Amino acid sequence: MLLQILVNGILKGGLYALMAIGMSLIWGVMDIINIAHGSFIMLGAFATYWLFTILGIDPFVSLVFSMALLFVLGYGVQRYLINYVIRASAFITLILAFGIEIFINNVALVSWTADVRKVKVAYGAANFSLGNWVTIPTIRLIAFLLVIVISLIFFYILNRTNLGRSIRATSQDLDAARLVGVDVANTYAITFGLGVGAAGAAGTLWSILFPISPMMGGELTLKSFVVVIIGGLGSMLGPIIGGLALGITEAFGTDWFGSTYANLISFTILVLVLIIRPKGILGGAD
Amino acid sequence: MEKKTIRNFLICGLILLMVVLFPLFNNNFIIRFGTDILMFAIMASAWNIIGGYTGYASFGNVVFFGIGGYITAILMEKAGLHFSIAYLAAGGGAALFAVLIGLPVLRLRGHYFAIATLGVAEAMKALVQNLEITEGNSGIYLPMLDLSVQGQYYFFFYMMLGTLLMTLLITYLVLNAKLGYSLIAIREDEDAANSVGINTTLSKTIAFALSGFFTGLAGSIYAYQQAFLKPEAVFTVHTTVKMIVMAVFGGMGKLFGPLIGAFGIEIISETLSNYFLVAHTLFFGTVVILAIVFTPKGLIDLITQRKFGISYFLENIRRHRI
Repeated sequence: MLLQILVNGILKGGLYALMAIGMSLIWGVMDIINIAHGSFIMLGAFATYWLFTILGIDPFVSLVFSMALLFVLGYGVQRYLINYVIRASAFITLILAFGIEIFINNVALVSWTADVRKVKVAYGAANFSLGNWVTIPTIRLIAFLLVIVISLIFFYILNRTNLGRSIRATSQDLDAARLVGVDVANTYAITFGLGVGAAGAAGTLWSILFPISPMMGGELTLKSFVVVIIGGLGSMLGPIIGGLALGITEAFGTDWFGSTYANLISFTILVLVLIIRPKGILGGAD
Repeated sequence: MEKKTIRNFLICGLILLMVVLFPLFNNNFIIRFGTDILMFAIMASAWNIIGGYTGYASFGNVVFFGIGGYITAILMEKAGLHFSIAYLAAGGGAALFAVLIGLPVLRLRGHYFAIATLGVAEAMKALVQNLEITEGNSGIYLPMLDLSVQGQYYFFFYMMLGTLLMTLLITYLVLNAKLGYSLIAIREDEDAANSVGINTTLSKTIAFALSGFFTGLAGSIYAYQQAFLKPEAVFTVHTTVKMIVMAVFGGMGKLFGPLIGAFGIEIISETLSNYFLVAHTLFFGTVVILAIVFTPKGLIDLITQRKFGISYFLENIRRHRI
């Protein structure tokens, strides 16, 4: 039984990690707290839903499409909106992100109503057992493996490509990066696009596993915060550690205290981690 | 006194007189709308103390609003106390909570403070949803105010107005005392403030407690007015966002900025919801985005600079873009 709870926690934690990777990237590189992150996840979920419902495209195929769509959207939002206030105080970009969140959520609400929907794939209920110990839902395992693949791709882009070098240089010193020829406006836009693209992927996987609605974003943003804070900024491993930590604690916490306590547990952890170790479990001492 | 000061006093007095007489010339629907504006003016002004003057952008100020409301509900409904006692206890309780939570959380800076306060508010919501004394998710009722319908509208309007005037007066006194200078020093450079001997921890904590106190009072009046509270509605993060947007829209770190912001934003959202029944929140998002991009220093800057040309907006963008 304990093992089953642990496995459930790890599998959900993988999804939390994917949600947080994009937020962590955007926060770490540009010092933008993307409050609209959950709304972008919602858009990814709905892209998958409509592709599945209208065209019958399998969610695992449309994953690529929803990532690409959200990348383009994110690129545009940063390039033609956030870049215009990026040198104002960090607090201003935070409020701007709130405006974007309200905007996206309500466009979705007006277009698709507040109905709760679900992507019902034929293999949704498939699972297998390991010995007589634990049952693993196949779909969650595939989602978990995809999270690892996407994280590795991100790691590769950031550490082994010219684009990644531009992103890291811009993150360290915007003016110096510009001096050595980095197109910072473009780099910022690509970074935001990548972060939001990861949110799109998370949305796709979320839509297969859980019900979706236009207002789902707020809570996902808060969860992503918790994960980013627990893991700490500045490393690809942070969101993964944070995601697993949140997934496992939530799984055990709800088993012990009941599911109505899930949010209380997550946010208490968030505040405690901030107070005790503001830079996260992996971050250096403050 | 200088001519300009006398003129400003006259303008303020005239506006105040208009607000005081406002309920006498309007129907109950409009009075209620005015009461809402006053409530948000209190909360935006209270946010301004910690966010605008001290530079600590709290994203969890709604927690004080909720605590104030729930203290009022519990004291009146469960302990049978009079509203006047519950009102003071609501402010005091919210201020005490601000001190307790402020001591650890005010050590964090920038984004980390913002997220921590957001986390505190969300944790408190989840706690209230689970406690028995708050009656959890089903919500808690308050006794009704024993007055005629007309009297009730007047009562809540003037309670909010009185609380707002107190908020502004105390903020004004604080700003002109040593504490006010300490707060602004903290905002400009906290390490420097520390090194010249300002007790930054104490100053920040007092600012946060004041902010909590006034927000708690607003929550108390709101609870009595609604006569029913539900955690989901009372602790919503959107109330915090509204306070901040109002303070920013009007002008952060200016005494009257949040007032202008509360008035402007409420008028805009009310007008939008009259014309666009479904999509008004969408337009509200657009207003927030445009306000942040074009007037990051707030309307009060626009008014005092007297630059209404397009060059003012372009200059703001040119300065902050990359």
